[in-house]
Amino acid sequence: MRYVKISRENTYMFLERLKDLGTLHAPQNISEKYYDFVEVDDVHSVIFEYNRTVRPPRRFFYPEKETMFKFNMEEVEEYPVEIQSERVILFGVHSCDIVGLRIIDATFLDEQPDPMYKKHRENGIIIGISCLPDEYCFCNVRRVEIVDAGFDLFFHEISDGFLVRVRSITGHKLIEPNLDLFEEEISKEDTDYIAEFEVKRRSMFSIQGNWDDLRYHLEWNMDHPMYVRESEKCLGCGNCTTTCPTCRCYDVKDIPNLDGKTGERVRFWDSCQFRTHGLVAGGHNFRPTKKDRFFNRYHCKNAYCQEVTTSYCVGCGRCTYFCPAEINFKQNLLEVRGEA
Amino acid sequence: MIKEDTRADVRERPRIGVYALTSCYGCQLMMATVSDILEVANVFDIRCFYMVSSASTMDEEVDIAFVEGSVSTEKDLKEILEIRKNCKTLVAMGACAVHGGVQSWAEGNLSYDEIYEEVYGDDKIDMPGLQAAPISQYVHVDYSLPGCPPEEDEIMYFLTTFLVGSFPEQKDYPVCAECRTTGNPCILIESNVPCLGSVTTAGCGARCITFNVPCIGCRGPVPHNTAWFDALATVFKKRGFTEEFVRARLKIFAAHNKNLDKMLKKAFGGDK
Amino acid sequence: MSNGESNIYELHQVRVLRVYDMSNIDKLFLFRFEDPIRARDWRFGPGQFVQVSLLGIGEVPISICSSARRVGFFELCIRNAGRVTSQIHKLKPGDLIGVRGPYGNGFPMDQFYNKDLLLVAAGLGMAPLRSIFLYALDNRWLFGNITIVNSAKYGKELLFQKELEAMKDIATAENIEIIQTVTRDPDFPGLHGRATAHMDKVNVDPNNCAVAMCGPPAMYRGMFEELVKRGFDRRYIFVTLERRMKCGVGKCGHCNIGTATSWKYACKDGPVFDYYDIISVPGLI
Repeated sequence: MRYVKISRENTYMFLERLKDLGTLHAPQNISEKYYDFVEVDDVHSVIFEYNRTVRPPRRFFYPEKETMFKFNMEEVEEYPVEIQSERVILFGVHSCDIVGLRIIDATFLDEQPDPMYKKHRENGIIIGISCLPDEYCFCNVRRVEIVDAGFDLFFHEISDGFLVRVRSITGHKLIEPNLDLFEEEISKEDTDYIAEFEVKRRSMFSIQGNWDDLRYHLEWNMDHPMYVRESEKCLGCGNCTTTCPTCRCYDVKDIPNLDGKTGERVRFWDSCQFRTHGLVAGGHNFRPTKKDRFFNRYHCKNAYCQEVTTSYCVGCGRCTYFCPAEINFKQNLLEVRGEA
Repeated sequence: MIKEDTRADVRERPRIGVYALTSCYGCQLMMATVSDILEVANVFDIRCFYMVSSASTMDEEVDIAFVEGSVSTEKDLKEILEIRKNCKTLVAMGACAVHGGVQSWAEGNLSYDEIYEEVYGDDKIDMPGLQAAPISQYVHVDYSLPGCPPEEDEIMYFLTTFLVGSFPEQKDYPVCAECRTTGNPCILIESNVPCLGSVTTAGCGARCITFNVPCIGCRGPVPHNTAWFDALATVFKKRGFTEEFVRARLKIFAAHNKNLDKMLKKAFGGDK
Repeated sequence: MSNGESNIYELHQVRVLRVYDMSNIDKLFLFRFEDPIRARDWRFGPGQFVQVSLLGIGEVPISICSSARRVGFFELCIRNAGRVTSQIHKLKPGDLIGVRGPYGNGFPMDQFYNKDLLLVAAGLGMAPLRSIFLYALDNRWLFGNITIVNSAKYGKELLFQKELEAMKDIATAENIEIIQTVTRDPDFPGLHGRATAHMDKVNVDPNNCAVAMCGPPAMYRGMFEELVKRGFDRRYIFVTLERRMKCGVGKCGHCNIGTATSWKYACKDGPVFDYYDIISVPGLI
């Protein structure tokens, strides 16, 4: 892989130049404690060290609400909506979120690709950044702490800046006109720094090993008391799913206009934690109780995504970090695995 | 899509009526000031809407009745029974009509006579009153349009779905869903404020929380028994809020919810 | 849509040709694609479904109930059960609506060839099974003996009752057994009891028979027990499942089923599942 090096100061300059290529979004503080990917105005407000954003990056390619098409009811015709093709550059994406996007790709860019997602994704540039885990992180047991695909550039922290992995043609093309900011010569010292960083990082995770067998433990313990106990605490608010980088359920609604003829069909994020998710015509609900819905998420997230060869959960910790009821996903899974 | 004969009844303008019981008239005001109000007046045959037309009459037959306000007087009761008789579809509009509104706060704590004495003492009033109640307590309600007041996009959605011969889909998920997609931090977690977003019906786009003000539940509890007051009360309890405080707060807009007391008891244990 | 690429959400216009009342809540609709090329070339398999759109109202998944061999039109049997279907019930011949599909795996018909066929329907389940039944009649030489069991709670809800009754004339000559039974209607002039109660009347050989069923999960459980007891080859027992579906193409997530080791979308991996899927994946029925 091609590596280049950049100083912190030049990184700000690079960000400034990225702004000219499209809308640049990067992690910034939105409150005392929280971060989100926010469109960059002042590059110096970009945070290089952050734990997690409230909203996962999927919203840039799969907006929370999107018009699928407009229609005319009388003519029975649909009119495509011109999808905004502005380039979106995401800077500072953690490895878990990069894998999260690849998981959504697996569903939305399969043999029957979702046209809107495809268009948005084609216009996206993903720039990753290295990170250190907090107590909520468990990407290591999901085996996604190092990513080899799904990004154009990846910024690894080194003592005086970043060592940048260049993954794609787009990545090369981002570097080339900016070679005044990058050094092409990298030293053994730089790669040693990354190696050491990774050793330090690995030791910081609160759990070690891997969870490849977890889905079997879940299957062997389907009547585990954890589900009843923890779902009792659940508020059914859906925070776990709206903040999840791999959740992708959507609902669809037709919104007619006042002329009684035209209107639009919109889709918007749905959550398996809501009552109607399993409801069918006639009133039967396949997941009628809060516990059923709670159980559903635990199994969905721990199922195996063949295309990415990981579980659907990437261990970002958002569902626990943003749970008002303090339901601890990682701890509950450890309990089912017999380790709590 | 549907041709000829059925098209005719699409052409025939649906008759609507907008009525107020005991309320602040804010819902009507919201409806009267939607940006497309002139177009609404064109495509619908507005038979009763005192706020926009003095030619309104209460006792005309309409296809769709939008009723704001709670039943709080004998007069309200007489009117709502009359409205129900005169309409095909009845929409409860706003917090008062759907859930009883803030005037129901004392529900379950004080009787009508006690409230009367508190407010009027020995004075007599002309209008015989009733314990404030949502209109569903007296008549069948077809659709509920929550909000204090309802949002413009929801009012338009109700109107246009009726216009095309369909009916509105009820929102039955909480404010939190919109709050996270809006990109707000969770102020309950971060600032330890008693936010009711998780038990409150979505639709407002988490407006208050966006301005750093905790949700007080004006859109009413999430329907279909999915407002988990017990789980939320447990969270509040853990965060140091007293039962009295939590009960009072939840009662502002959910006093008539039949799960409320039961669930609070579960969370806090024992009677009150 | 005209952007050159195929769009999975694109609707195709179909015109209502005929509407038949099936019961007080069910109607049968005959549709043809407006685009003559599509009308000519559109194919589907028994057990597949389409997404039916009434623009401005919404979209619903409906099983196709006509024979896959008859091209140029297709039939849907639709129950008035919600926002969209209540509006579909107002459609009249000549009306246009939008359709996309077909979706789902459908029944593996090639595995059914040279076998006897046992089709067991309960309630609205007759709709997708009619598609197999008519397909088998249109390709009579590909199948052995055929038994179709049509059951419902009440006589008036027995879908396609008259059609099946009328076929009884040729049924004997064609080695077809037609069993129609009701479970809660003492006044019904025909057979009574669940499908399982009539298994002695079937004309199929358990050792060489494909079974297709459509009905509620309770019916599947009862029938599985009965079929296993009678020695039917479990490899050839198939059921079709109902779930909430918004997209039909494995995206929207509502129809997800299974557990962490076997996560599936009913719309894409199903809606047809075999006996071994059912016993391997908890929660399917």
